[in-house]
Amino acid sequence: MTDAVGFRAPTDWKTDAMQKRIRKRYRAERRFRALGLAAVAMSAAFLIFLLAVMVGNGAAGFMRTEVALPIDFKAAPLDIDRAQLATRGADLALAGAGLQDRVATAATAAFGEKGEELIAENAWTAVRDAIKADPNLLSQRAHVWVPASSDLDAAADGGGEPAMQAEVRKLRERGALQSGFNAGFLSRADSTDPTAVGIWGAFKGSLLTMLVTLLIAFPIGVLSAVYLEEYAPKNRWTDLIEVSINNLAAVPSIIFGLLGLAVFLGTFGLPRSAPLVGGLTLALMIMPVIVIAGRNAIKAVPPSIRDAALGIGASRVQVVFHHVLPLALPGILTGTIIGMARALGETAPLLLIGMRAFIVTPPGGVFDPATVLPVQIFLWSDEVSRGFIEKTSAAIIVLLVFLLAMNALAIYLRNRFETRW
Amino acid sequence: MNLYALLFLVTGLGVIAWLTGRARAARYGAASKHRLHSLPGQHGLYVAMWTVIPALFFVIIWSIFTPNLATEAVLRDPQAFALPAFGYEREAVLNEIRARAAGSEYGFYPAAEQLAPVYLQASRFYSWIGTGIAILLAFACGAFAYTRIRADFRARTRVERTVMLALLVASLIAILTTLGIFLSLLFESLRFFAMVPITDFLFGTTWSPQVIDPADPGATLGAVPLFWGTFFIGAVIAMLVAIPFGLMSAIYLTQYAKPVVRKWMKPMLEILAGVPTVVYGYFAALTVGPAIRDFAVSLGFTYASSESALAAGLVMGVMIIPFVSSMADDSIAAVPSAMRDGSLAMGATSSETIRKVLLPAALPGVVAGVLLAVSRAIGETMIVVMAASGAANITANPFESATTVTKQIVDLLTGEAEFDSPKTLAAFALGLTLFLITFLLNIVALRVVKKYREAYD
Repeated sequence: MTDAVGFRAPTDWKTDAMQKRIRKRYRAERRFRALGLAAVAMSAAFLIFLLAVMVGNGAAGFMRTEVALPIDFKAAPLDIDRAQLATRGADLALAGAGLQDRVATAATAAFGEKGEELIAENAWTAVRDAIKADPNLLSQRAHVWVPASSDLDAAADGGGEPAMQAEVRKLRERGALQSGFNAGFLSRADSTDPTAVGIWGAFKGSLLTMLVTLLIAFPIGVLSAVYLEEYAPKNRWTDLIEVSINNLAAVPSIIFGLLGLAVFLGTFGLPRSAPLVGGLTLALMIMPVIVIAGRNAIKAVPPSIRDAALGIGASRVQVVFHHVLPLALPGILTGTIIGMARALGETAPLLLIGMRAFIVTPPGGVFDPATVLPVQIFLWSDEVSRGFIEKTSAAIIVLLVFLLAMNALAIYLRNRFETRW
Repeated sequence: MNLYALLFLVTGLGVIAWLTGRARAARYGAASKHRLHSLPGQHGLYVAMWTVIPALFFVIIWSIFTPNLATEAVLRDPQAFALPAFGYEREAVLNEIRARAAGSEYGFYPAAEQLAPVYLQASRFYSWIGTGIAILLAFACGAFAYTRIRADFRARTRVERTVMLALLVASLIAILTTLGIFLSLLFESLRFFAMVPITDFLFGTTWSPQVIDPADPGATLGAVPLFWGTFFIGAVIAMLVAIPFGLMSAIYLTQYAKPVVRKWMKPMLEILAGVPTVVYGYFAALTVGPAIRDFAVSLGFTYASSESALAAGLVMGVMIIPFVSSMADDSIAAVPSAMRDGSLAMGATSSETIRKVLLPAALPGVVAGVLLAVSRAIGETMIVVMAASGAANITANPFESATTVTKQIVDLLTGEAEFDSPKTLAAFALGLTLFLITFLLNIVALRVVKKYREAYD
């Protein structure tokens, strides 16, 4: 027996060859470890770089450059009845009195031949609002702060054409340039002029779409999860449902867009570009997410809860709806919020069902044409005008803030309410 | 009556039904010698269900049919006899009539302006009839249920049976969605393949849908360049980024990192996964694309495009890193710790243990994760729509431009083409191909994961 086992002298670890070999192995170990650290660090660096680029570009989108426009109503009064200014027709009356032309001529008079190019196309509405706020302006020589044109805006931020930068220097010397918070960016809708765009229209479209998505995906997702986890018999149908759900969770989002286009628009004839159709499409897309999260949450409720409820005479439906579901709710809500965050950032399926229309008025209901925040970002990113770059990044910041807030809420809910048994 | 008001009304009737049903059951419970079989609230639910469900079904079905009925009424109108008999123009006039009736001020056809009031009147008429029938239905069914309430009536059993039915229906929606996707894609694709031979589509090497020769549409609808571009960007370039970075991140975070580092780095990876794809796309188009072009030009590739395959693939790879990392994380964690401890006890260093023991044992899971990652990458749309070009080249040079299936679907469907042209239908054929390939990848990956999990359980 013992002959069969070969005898080997114990390794002498002190020899040079062995020491060298160990050093080599330790070097490999350190190299491997550094590679791992580098991988994580690179991912982090990419994320930081991405966020920094967006914030760097987008911060200017929340600001706007304003020009002090001298406008002399004393020398040449506006032909308008003062009493009208207090009424609802004030906007129309001021527009009818040729205010837009007056503002243009005032700009030319103040800043020279190219003066009109310095102020935004809608600059006269700023003058209009100033007059409405203080009708006495109509009898004075006044300075009104009006938004600058997008070219001047870019020049004031340090870019733009040399000619515009010269104008910026001139205006700065006169103290006729300031930069302020662009409140209109949060309250207006899309426009062709980058200085006049806002995200409220797209944001409202997103809200309506999310509402439809939530109303459809949440009940269906929770009910399916309850059925599969609590009642489903082990048979082929159940297997088929499980396979479908697992598969739907991994189907590319654009396929859901094709489904929405063919079925909701083609077969059912629902209106194009409507939040209703967008919501339905996204609901089908995030339903599997809710089902999977819901099943995990329900699975985590210990069987003793069910046994106790059954033991005191509750029916199987009562056990689930009175006892299991309330305990599983935090987990289900966490999954739902994560799914909704995914739907909020989704673009591709909505492009296919026509939610890329140019919408200048915020939608009033789920049947109105609308666009959503990510699609608005996509549309602005396609614009050639330079002023849109900072607006696109600013819209991205708003979207990211909302996504982060939703994810933070999900994490909070999970930590605050989830019981561990 | 408008749809919202009607839904509100039916819901209100449901609440009233619940209250009256509950009150009646409670009276029975007090008056009768026997105990109630079901709680009063369950009786209330029974009556409410009878009141609301049939009426709601009717409202939904009616609101689907009303536009057709109103259109019929318009066509019966003497003024409508002058409309073109069939085809595109007739549909256009009818669409305009509907748009005008909905409040649109603009129009092209004078006939539509005359007929819009007829349509409006007819649809109002039918909507009032619908409201009447819905309310009658609610009352009739509610009353029927109300009369059935007795002390020994098994309301709970019936309510619970309805709940179970609702549960079953809800879970069938997943199957319906899968079927709906498959059938709608298949149906439109069959129409496409009736116009374009399937062999031309699958094996043709020229893709330029802007110039379609009506006599031979298949000549410019060969999808091989798209398949190649999708494979090249999604499965080669993106994976060259995602697999090493994802795998090494997972190894570092699970095996080496201190708890503090892990606590900060894991959420960081989750944020990377949560950034919307449109943001990645914008970043790729605005920053990465031009940077790569400048880099390529400095290397001597003067033809380099700022919409290169490399830009889209790189950013897509970064997007996939967290996904690969979490899949690898799961499969490494599933390896029994006895294997790791054994290896370490034999004197292997950590990296030797990882490379020679953990990774081989976790390999099936990692491979499945990579398959899922590939399926995700080839279905990714916004990054390629924004950062890749539309030029369909078959090239292995990452600095040249390539296009993908998803980009072409978006490009084909967002133009102003009519629904029946080969150009539009080609998008559905591409969609079907994409669906089948990702479906296959997912099924294989899920199988592997399942089998592998069982091996160590």
